[in-house]
Amino acid sequence: MRYYGGMKSIAVIFGGRSAEHDVSIITAHIPIIETLLATREYNVWPVYISKEGKWYCDQRMNELGFFKQPDWEAQLSEMKPVSLSFTAGFEIVWPGVFGKSQKIDIVFPSMHGTFGEDGSLMGLLRMANVPFVGCDIFASAVAMDKVLTKEVVAAEGMPVVPYVWFTQAQWKADADHFRTKIKQLKAPYFVKPVHLGSSIGIAKAKTDAELENAIEVALHYDDKVLVEEAVEPLLEITLPLMGNDDVRAAQCERPLNTSELFDFNDKYLSSGKSSGVNNAYSEIPAKISEELTRQIKDLGIRVYRTLGCSGIARVDFLVNDSTKEVFVNEVNTLPGSLYHHNWKASGVSNRDLVLELIRLAQERFASQKSRTYAFKSDILKKVGGPKVQ
Amino acid sequence: MKGLLSRYHPLYIRTLIYMMQANEYYPREFLAWYHRTFDFSAIEKRKHLVYTPKAVLLILFAWGSFVFSAGMSAYVAFETGVPGVISAIIGILFAPFLVPYSLFVLMLFLNALQIPVEWYIVARAKRVLKKHPAVKIAVAGSYGKTTMREILKSVLSSGKRVAAPGGSHNTPLGIAKFVEQLRGDEEVLIFEFGEYYPGDIMRLCKFVEPQWGVITGINEAHLERFKTVDRAAATIFELARYLKDKPVYVNADNELVRAHAATTHIRYDAHGAGDWQVVAAETGIEGTSIDFKHDEAVLRARSKLLGLHNVGPIAAAADIASKLGLTDEQIRLGIERTKPFDHRLQPRLDGGVVMIDDSYNGNPDGARVAIEFLRTLQGRRRWYVTPGLVEMGSRKQEVHETIGRELAQAHIEKVVLLRNSVTPYIAKGLQESDYKGEIVWFDEALAAYRALPTMTVSGDVVLIQNDWPDQYF
Repeated sequence: MRYYGGMKSIAVIFGGRSAEHDVSIITAHIPIIETLLATREYNVWPVYISKEGKWYCDQRMNELGFFKQPDWEAQLSEMKPVSLSFTAGFEIVWPGVFGKSQKIDIVFPSMHGTFGEDGSLMGLLRMANVPFVGCDIFASAVAMDKVLTKEVVAAEGMPVVPYVWFTQAQWKADADHFRTKIKQLKAPYFVKPVHLGSSIGIAKAKTDAELENAIEVALHYDDKVLVEEAVEPLLEITLPLMGNDDVRAAQCERPLNTSELFDFNDKYLSSGKSSGVNNAYSEIPAKISEELTRQIKDLGIRVYRTLGCSGIARVDFLVNDSTKEVFVNEVNTLPGSLYHHNWKASGVSNRDLVLELIRLAQERFASQKSRTYAFKSDILKKVGGPKVQ
Repeated sequence: MKGLLSRYHPLYIRTLIYMMQANEYYPREFLAWYHRTFDFSAIEKRKHLVYTPKAVLLILFAWGSFVFSAGMSAYVAFETGVPGVISAIIGILFAPFLVPYSLFVLMLFLNALQIPVEWYIVARAKRVLKKHPAVKIAVAGSYGKTTMREILKSVLSSGKRVAAPGGSHNTPLGIAKFVEQLRGDEEVLIFEFGEYYPGDIMRLCKFVEPQWGVITGINEAHLERFKTVDRAAATIFELARYLKDKPVYVNADNELVRAHAATTHIRYDAHGAGDWQVVAAETGIEGTSIDFKHDEAVLRARSKLLGLHNVGPIAAAADIASKLGLTDEQIRLGIERTKPFDHRLQPRLDGGVVMIDDSYNGNPDGARVAIEFLRTLQGRRRWYVTPGLVEMGSRKQEVHETIGRELAQAHIEKVVLLRNSVTPYIAKGLQESDYKGEIVWFDEALAAYRALPTMTVSGDVVLIQNDWPDQYF
């Protein structure tokens, strides 16, 4: 590994072609970059991917204030996009006559949603043979698809609420078929775009008209839509988890919704403070019984392991507040702002959280390196000769 | 070498004026800073030069002085037979060393010009005060003056019209400016007397003519100016000498005050003051509650002030208030209104972490009571953040080692120290007392303040003790 002034180089990748582009910028800075800078142990390279998919890297972007300037996009257009080189590990390359390159020792992905959290970026980083923080490609890809998550979780015998799913093409081809299937569910319903996070495009439908409208909205954001029974009376619980083989849970957290649906605005905007996730609207720890807390934590760890999560993730639960029945709702492989407010309440400081995630990334990378992925074979020699078995 | 070269940086002149401003245009303090500074780069860290007319004038003068000094040095060199170019170089090399002294002389001159103006303003204020019917209370001491002033103001305001200068208006000119704002119908005026040099307090006494006095404490603050603690004590006790038979309240919790107090003085401490006896007291993050016994009645009062060291001053304020005619109920309500003052054991909740801002508290007694307060907070992880104390003179090693020992004895879990000339003594005190917690070092305050939110968790208590202004780094 190459060291920059005795410090390891870490790239924090954020932004991206995703509906959660702006949330990703917040997560990257609060707490990731601000904590990394405060440790004075890393040379931090902020890598910003624009909504058009261009990559930029400039240490001025280490300040969140850069993205709050009215002309930040104009400033960005004056920068040259960087390219990546995998020739000698993971390198950021600035083009031009006086171009330069920077080898990166560790990558901290901070991208929510499509092209980032869905496993795409993880695939790229695996190819580049560089350690990276958070879930690997497989868990990321499964967790990004709410339907796939439910199917995997249900296959392992864990409870999920009844649901129906369809693609845009299927809906266009035979909407009535799916309307009939939806009718077999108990109203009201939640209609969700399958691949989006941060509650974007999610709507609750009580009537047929609301259902049609909600499906139209969801199909606007995604080509695959999930309609599921709403749990009522609902108690939402979310549980951040961290680890590779040894998994630890943070506190059970209860979002205190300002509207019936805990949407994007509640999550990130309502407090009016730029502290990442809006923690003014959550109860930590959730005021639920010890038994329910234990049940949810055990279930969370099972889900984490079933999906093959590593580093960090958050499992969301729907609890029937009357019967105390618990359902696994979805898994988020990069919780907004790492849910650092919950970890803090669980006794884990931002510094401990970020450094532990880096340690876990290195641990997984070392374990992958020691694995055998290729073996010698004489198959090529036999091509055209004796029949290949 | 870097320090030497920093004198030739274009920002050198600005830095000098910034520090003149930071030292409140006191030429002696400015020159003392100049003499102990080697590297003039990156001095403006926490604050920046404010372009007041005075500052602009000084900048112009300093540049003029630079050119003049360079020219004169070159001329002298040339006259002694040095070739022209080398003379010019010698001139430029010498000029930065001469500029601070020319600024020093200019400020002496300007201050001398100000004397008659100030004398006129103060004389006018003195005439106003002489006619003013209000009861005048003076507060003097090396530390605790602002706290005492604010406690008195809160308690007495419950039954009287009270006025007191805000901020640290404790010089004749500061007080005179406050007097200009008086309406004339105030019933009590509270003054904070600042002592910088011997004779200062007596001068203020003759100006204000107080009828009541409070001496809050004596310690090593300003030792670099007073040289000995006894001289500081004698200056502060000028208030008692002036008041003679009139009531003087003295803080008996402070050893030096006890040593200098006369038997006729009214002592206040954790046990009470005058007719107000403290039966019980307890403190925590939410404030301090005190059970008083007064005229055989027991009275419970809750203050939002943190720390048991406030019990004595509150008792003194209660005794003064009752002697000025306030009822017990009025006094209780007044005590309820006392709350932490800016930057003095002032708590705020930040993401589940209790931050206690004690950044204006920069004296050994203040540090001791802050640590004592932290000691009372059991069941929480406690952080103590400090760059150490300034103006401790020859006692700086002893004072800081004591802080280290007190921190170790209070079992403070985390001690965050800023690297400078005094904090190694705190570390030494900690180590000698077999400190079991963690010492975290930072090179700069800003780096520490940036890192702290990333290192703390919900429930932690972080106390920031003293905040060195740039002139002390």
